[in-house]
Amino acid sequence: MEYKNGILHVRNLYKKFEGVEVLKNINFDLNEKEVLVILGPSGAGKSTLIRCINRLEEPTSGEIFFNGEKIDKKTDYNKLREKIGMVFQKFNLFLHLTALQNITLPLKIVKRKSEEEANKIAIEYLIKVGLKDRANHYPIQLSGGEQQRVAIARALSLSPQIMLFDEPTSSIDIELIKDVLDVMKNLAKEGMTMIVVSHEMGFAKEVGDRIIFMDKGEIVEESEPEEFFRNPKTDRAKQFLSKIINI
Amino acid sequence: MGFDFNISLFIESIPYLINGAKYTILFSIISILFGIVIGLFASLMKISKNFVFKVVGNTYIEVIRGTPLLLHIMIAYYGLAAFNIKLDYFTAGILALSINSGAYCGEIFRAGIESIEKGQMEAARSVGMSYGQAMRFIIIPQAIKRVIPPLTNEFVAMLKDSSLLSIIAVPELLRNARQLMGTKANVWSPFLGAALIYLILTLPLTRVASVLERRFSKGGV
Repeated sequence: MEYKNGILHVRNLYKKFEGVEVLKNINFDLNEKEVLVILGPSGAGKSTLIRCINRLEEPTSGEIFFNGEKIDKKTDYNKLREKIGMVFQKFNLFLHLTALQNITLPLKIVKRKSEEEANKIAIEYLIKVGLKDRANHYPIQLSGGEQQRVAIARALSLSPQIMLFDEPTSSIDIELIKDVLDVMKNLAKEGMTMIVVSHEMGFAKEVGDRIIFMDKGEIVEESEPEEFFRNPKTDRAKQFLSKIINI
Repeated sequence: MGFDFNISLFIESIPYLINGAKYTILFSIISILFGIVIGLFASLMKISKNFVFKVVGNTYIEVIRGTPLLLHIMIAYYGLAAFNIKLDYFTAGILALSINSGAYCGEIFRAGIESIEKGQMEAARSVGMSYGQAMRFIIIPQAIKRVIPPLTNEFVAMLKDSSLLSIIAVPELLRNARQLMGTKANVWSPFLGAALIYLILTLPLTRVASVLERRFSKGGV
């Protein structure tokens, strides 16, 4: 009941991998149309955290409420995942399918759209990410940046309520990152609710509504981007930022 | 005795050998098809998270691969008769070869499926596909190309190993060659003929495999 407001609530979340605690007592809320950026050194548990949200990982304990409802064993995970789009670091486009088919196949199987409808929707989203001319290319024929934009289009085409981005630009050539970030910025402007795990400080500053800084499986600091970058509260965040800026 | 090859006996034995080869091909094709179906199920069981499926799939594959095909043939033909299941040589032969190749195909499929990058399954699940849908539409289509070369090897092995069916009097290639040895009192002519036919059957298969591999190849995977 108390979690009716806001789209996502995470409470006391723990995750252990073979006895090692990778998430410790994670608590946060996400409001509609909010862009939450999760920062932190590698191994902080950022990816594991967002993978718990769409249940690619099963949390060890704790609760996640989505649209006011608790996600548990009774939840239909397939239905849940339709509503939570995910973009991966390594794109994970279906390699045997063209850009267009990558989008139409889930629409046909999961949303039961006809071939015609699916094609129409797919083209619409390919236009949105600026890749209509790549519709019939296979992933191997696309650059990393293009693959990631197709992956974003694939996730968006299912009309999710939240989009999760797991280091979306970490595997992309530096000169192609901007195209991907532009797509994400536009999404944010359109009011998409987003959780972004990223090292893109510029993006976090410009687009983020809130920053969560994680280290060693814990949320160390949570604040507004402006505040976080100008005046981090904790030493760990200061350390992290100094290293990033030195690069 | 000595090397008793005789060209006219050799030519004379070819039609009878070809007759045997027809059985060799028939048994091999039917059995590999059954073997592929059985193998697909066995591999899916073996990699499944369900404990019972896993044990059944694993046990089947390990038991069959750890015992000789000749034994499988004998059990199918003589052994089952003890339970009043009397199979003719055709049924017993197909049964033994299919179950045998099912285990090998199972391992081939398992390796093929497991060679597909983990991210493909995760991406499929992340868009709301069930495990079964992800397997059917994403993983298996990509694994097919990778299993064609080992499946071809399996078929070549089957063509050769089906000669073991001679033990239950299936009139296949090698059994016919042995019969000719008796009736013509000649060793080398029918056996070289049999060798030649086996080679004619097996050598082109690698070509077929590479054609198939290209046909199933989509997007370089």
